[in-house]
Amino acid sequence: MAAASDAAPGSGEPGRRTFLNWLLGLWAAGVAASILYPILQYLVPPDIPEAATQSADAGKASTLAPNSGRVIAFGSAPAIVIRTAAGEYRAFSAVCTHLSCTVQYRPDLQHIWCACHNGHYDLNGRNIAGPPPRPLEQYDVNLRDGEIIVSKRA
Amino acid sequence: MTTLVVLCATAATLVIQAPTAAGQSGARAAREAFRDDVHAAAGLDCAACHRQGGSAPAQIARTAIAQLCARCHSDAAYMKRFDPQVRVDQYAQYLTSTHGKRMATGETRVATCSDCHGAHGIHKTRDVRSPVAPVNVAQTCARCHADRGRMAAFGLEATPFRDWSGSVHAAALLKRGDLSAPTCSTCHGSHGATPPGVDEVANVCAQCHVREAELFRASPKKAIFDQMSLPECLACHSNHRIVHPTDAWVGLKEPGVCATCHDATTKGADTIVAVRGGLDNLSAAIDRAEAVLARAERAGMLVDDGQAALREARDHEIHSRVLVHAFAAGPFEDMARQGVRAAGDAQEVGEHALHELQVRRLGLLGATIVIVGFLVTLWFKIRRLGTSPRA
Amino acid sequence: MTTTRLIAWLDERVPIGAVIETLRHKRVPQHRYSMWYYFGGITLFLFVVQVVTGGLLLLYYRPSAGEAYESVQFIMTRVQFGWLVRSIHAWSANLMVAAAFGHLFSVLFFHAYRRPREITWVSGVLLLLLVLAFGFTGYLLPWNELSLLATSVGTDMAATVPGIGHFIVRFMRGGNTVTGATLTRLFGVHVAILPALATALLALHLFLIQQHGMSVPPSIEEEGRRSERPVASVPFFPDFALHDLFAWTVALAVLAGLAAFYPWELGLKADPFAPAPAGIRPEWYFLWVFQTLKYAPSSVLGLNGELFVVGTLGIGVALLIVLPFLVPDRPRARRILSWLAGVALGYMVLLTALALRASGGRVS
Repeated sequence: MAAASDAAPGSGEPGRRTFLNWLLGLWAAGVAASILYPILQYLVPPDIPEAATQSADAGKASTLAPNSGRVIAFGSAPAIVIRTAAGEYRAFSAVCTHLSCTVQYRPDLQHIWCACHNGHYDLNGRNIAGPPPRPLEQYDVNLRDGEIIVSKRA
Repeated sequence: MTTLVVLCATAATLVIQAPTAAGQSGARAAREAFRDDVHAAAGLDCAACHRQGGSAPAQIARTAIAQLCARCHSDAAYMKRFDPQVRVDQYAQYLTSTHGKRMATGETRVATCSDCHGAHGIHKTRDVRSPVAPVNVAQTCARCHADRGRMAAFGLEATPFRDWSGSVHAAALLKRGDLSAPTCSTCHGSHGATPPGVDEVANVCAQCHVREAELFRASPKKAIFDQMSLPECLACHSNHRIVHPTDAWVGLKEPGVCATCHDATTKGADTIVAVRGGLDNLSAAIDRAEAVLARAERAGMLVDDGQAALREARDHEIHSRVLVHAFAAGPFEDMARQGVRAAGDAQEVGEHALHELQVRRLGLLGATIVIVGFLVTLWFKIRRLGTSPRA
Repeated sequence: MTTTRLIAWLDERVPIGAVIETLRHKRVPQHRYSMWYYFGGITLFLFVVQVVTGGLLLLYYRPSAGEAYESVQFIMTRVQFGWLVRSIHAWSANLMVAAAFGHLFSVLFFHAYRRPREITWVSGVLLLLLVLAFGFTGYLLPWNELSLLATSVGTDMAATVPGIGHFIVRFMRGGNTVTGATLTRLFGVHVAILPALATALLALHLFLIQQHGMSVPPSIEEEGRRSERPVASVPFFPDFALHDLFAWTVALAVLAGLAAFYPWELGLKADPFAPAPAGIRPEWYFLWVFQTLKYAPSSVLGLNGELFVVGTLGIGVALLIVLPFLVPDRPRARRILSWLAGVALGYMVLLTALALRASGGRVS
């Protein structure tokens, strides 16, 4: 079978050869598409542009009234954003330092409270009454385009 | 010769003066311990309490101890010199306590100041060497209150210490080092030690378990329990051996605590069944979500959003369990429903991840088919070209 | 016809005509060992995959201790097909190391290092060392527990060098222990320094291969001489090129399958202050060195045991680089070399297996 049919590659069957080339081209395009499609999709920025570990969006500033608070997800643990009666924004870790329940803001007490065992924290996150042994970790709050941005302290 | 006389005389004097050899060594031990005492640090000496000094100060009568301590410790002007914030009502409280009342009638087999605080090596309560430091209080009370013979004389059981030691509060205090966990004095008072009255129990527990107590007091149960002289929280949760309640405690059958009074025919049976159903439903939803998320994670998918939703669901579960103390279906069902929704969200995330895994595998299958098609066609092309070697 | 016009247009401006001519006449020997010719191409293909996937990863990766792990997690969960790009990058790295070693050993066993291919050999060995360096530096970048420990263990080995050992370790780590400084440093090495060196060496390596063509094993040459027939060959283009394309496409399919069915895990975030758990190991291609160090007695010939092992390894690598200049092109010398290569390969395989057995068989 050595030098039989390879001497003139096109001899006698130009139709079949063109068909084969066409078919090959088609499959090759398919392979190229299955490589290019993921790459192009990858290049498009995702909806959430970056990992929310160092900072998180806590919603619009206009939706957080004075003397109220909101619990948001921050990385893998909850955080609490409060707006004092005076209008100042503060943010802390919402994980109670006693037994890790999620704390909340009490407008009637005007400070932070943990429902599980009646722990109280002041507006600086310091534990002022009840079982909690340590203050809440404090975060930085900034406003950007009307959105409240909570970020970990450097 | 003279030396011998002097020695004999000294010995004779000592023999006459020293009551007993034991008393003498007891005095020596007391002096040793006193070196470490807060009173010594404040500049006081033996004579401050024992009028008579010397090598063997007179014993103070048990019935007189509290008054003796109160001479200084109830004097606000005097105590302020050492600690401006210290309380001076301990004696007054003691007089209201069971111990104080009994002691006043001459019964000396009850506790007085030195039994709990020590006599000579007294440390501040905050000092872990003190017998009344939070981690030591129960042991100190147990010295008498776990002694069956001693307690029998007063018609009391000696079980509280053993019971408390098996409780979640003991575990929190002694194993986790949570100093906020209640020990004997937290609920019974320290100087004014008395068991709380039957209609005061909720107030005691409310020091920490404020939501449960609020709900209980606002519920119909408060009036009913007070009428039946049932000790509020204790009726279901026991007083010393307080353990983690389970969802099964809500129910008309064992181990349901409701079954103590309720059966299927009584008023409230529907509520009990509904609440229990809600708890079981929520617990099952959380378990399902957890299982799916675990499967997704094991398969290599990352599901942080699901874990956050699961955490929220667990928060709602805790709140639902608190709302059991409203003894009404309404608020409980609201919370339980929210919990089920959060658990559903978590499960959705997990299922989406597993679905995504299938989508990826399908995508891979598709890509593999295309690649294989290409390879097969290429193989034919290669054959057609001929791989026959030539020089 | 448009292709010819295009080529003519280009040729007027860039001398590609000469290149195309050479390629047209390039031929690849065909014999029973031709299969081994693919290893070099596969290594090259996998390197290109690494460059492409690595470049894509660079768009989202953040090289700092506080953000590296989270950015990889972000790629795996939020970026479309990020999981695919990352898993392919990790798998292709391992396959590339395996292919590179396969290429090395096939060149050794078939004696392709002989004159006039000595410089090709030298550039190739240096490329292998670069590939190992790529693997070592890249492994730390996800900043997870395993990689932190593996890097600690790996850099520790340099401490055995007398005198400058500790300096070398500090140089590699950017400090005394593995910290964020190490991450930044190894990142720079991984994405800039090593690629620059690799590109230069690769260009040289590929150019020399075009110059000299494919080497024919001595046994085949001998057969050709005896039968007085020249060694059979096929044109590179299109025949062998299509074979190469075939092999590369198979490799691509394998990579995609591995990425979909055995996604590379992320593990736990690194904690530089956590105590090291038992059983930490470097990546699989360093396991044989690691295991040898474990077996090394505390003192050999008056030298520190570990120093002896590292020193022997260093000498071995140096000998490997200059191998063509040491081995005369004679049948007996070649046979001895094949034997030595076989022993070395067997040793590496055996010790890797022992290391895996000791740690329960997990590869990563």
